[in-house]
Amino acid sequence: MLKKYTFHVIGTHCPACKILIEDILKEQSVVKNVRVNLKRETVEIETDSEKNPEELAQILTSKIKPNGYTLSIEKNIQEQKSNDVIWKAIPIGLAFLVLFFILQKSGILNLSIGGKTTPATSFIVGLIASVSSCLAIVGGLVLSLSAKISQDDAKENISDTKTYLLFHTGRLVSFALLGGLLGIIGNAIGINFTFAAILGIIASLVMITLGLNLTGVFSKNRIALPGGIFNFFRKIEHKTLTPLIIGFATFFLPCGFTQSMQVVAISSGSFISGMLIMLSFALGTLPVLLLLSFGSASFAHGKHAPLFFKSAGVIVLGLGLFALLAGLAGLGIINPLFNI
Amino acid sequence: MNKTVYIIITLALIVAIGIIFTGGAKSEQSVEIKNGVQYITILASGGYSPRTTEAKAGLPTKLIMKTNGAYDCSASLVIRSIGFQKILPQTGETEIDLGISKAGEPLRGVCGMGMYNFLINFS
Repeated sequence: MLKKYTFHVIGTHCPACKILIEDILKEQSVVKNVRVNLKRETVEIETDSEKNPEELAQILTSKIKPNGYTLSIEKNIQEQKSNDVIWKAIPIGLAFLVLFFILQKSGILNLSIGGKTTPATSFIVGLIASVSSCLAIVGGLVLSLSAKISQDDAKENISDTKTYLLFHTGRLVSFALLGGLLGIIGNAIGINFTFAAILGIIASLVMITLGLNLTGVFSKNRIALPGGIFNFFRKIEHKTLTPLIIGFATFFLPCGFTQSMQVVAISSGSFISGMLIMLSFALGTLPVLLLLSFGSASFAHGKHAPLFFKSAGVIVLGLGLFALLAGLAGLGIINPLFNI
Repeated sequence: MNKTVYIIITLALIVAIGIIFTGGAKSEQSVEIKNGVQYITILASGGYSPRTTEAKAGLPTKLIMKTNGAYDCSASLVIRSIGFQKILPQTGETEIDLGISKAGEPLRGVCGMGMYNFLINFS
């Protein structure tokens, strides 16, 4: 009777590794058939040996060890564990979404702030905006990017703090600068609705992709994603300029609060006052956004990291879908499905 | 805990989200006809109220959007069918001329992000 085992293999860095491992293992008398999958880092063997998989892994490892490869069954165990984690992560993620939508629906956030808008009131508006439905887009984006960056950096031992700081700096600088510009130009650069809605849809698609990626749905079901997209993300994550630019671009993301403040900046009539309005608004949104990014960093390095990534994935996925449907409704492509 | 427990919690939470999304407070409609002109008033603040308005067809109609310290999405109003998009003043009233209302051509307004909407039916 032939038995089929799949082992996890460590050390396959090159396309030629596949051929080398297959050649060595085929020479072993117990191995009847062998196939290496580089993408999944697995080795499938068919054997007539009666030994248990642990022993087989050990024996076969001793043959390929000199070439720098190790076989183990460990990865399988880990995957088994993470399969269970997703069942915990889904209700946790959904619970956060429920709380978030209840908060929106409750009307607590519909504070009327009367009178003239000053930097102080725009700071308060920023605080409210950071927990409002704008959080679905800006916060969702920050959470998904932060979690993804932490996840990748934890693997590669690179500091994620720098990336976060750059993102938030980019955001503050862009709000101050563009706010000032709105003040002098007195013209609507940031408030073209269609442009903002399209940016929002792009952001929601990024969130859905990263959300699926964080939950690990793809690796489990082996649905292949276009590799280019992931390589793109991997590349942009670690460049200095990219987090800055993404932070900068958040100025244009659709958010009613941001747009209202942009109008205030336009009517303020001077660079300094426009800048102060937008900067204090951005500072108001900062605490929640900082919490999201540094919160994910601290979870990512803790022992509940897998649960955190998957829960974050569920939350981001939910917010991404919400933002996508809302964005399509805003563009008039579909009828509005909800009123939140 | 058992997987089944998590699945039950998950289903309960999905139902909760469904209720939150479909539920909504009903509010008084405000349609007035003065000197042969139909005035429909809608309040924009943390969403639009009333969400659905029934109005008469065949009358010159004006839509009055009322805001009171609104900074949220509902201040950025889009009505695609008449090509209207504007950020409403934080506090004040904005009058929008809808022309002569036609039966069976409902008017839908959404906020810029698409999270809030309202509908006016003409009959």
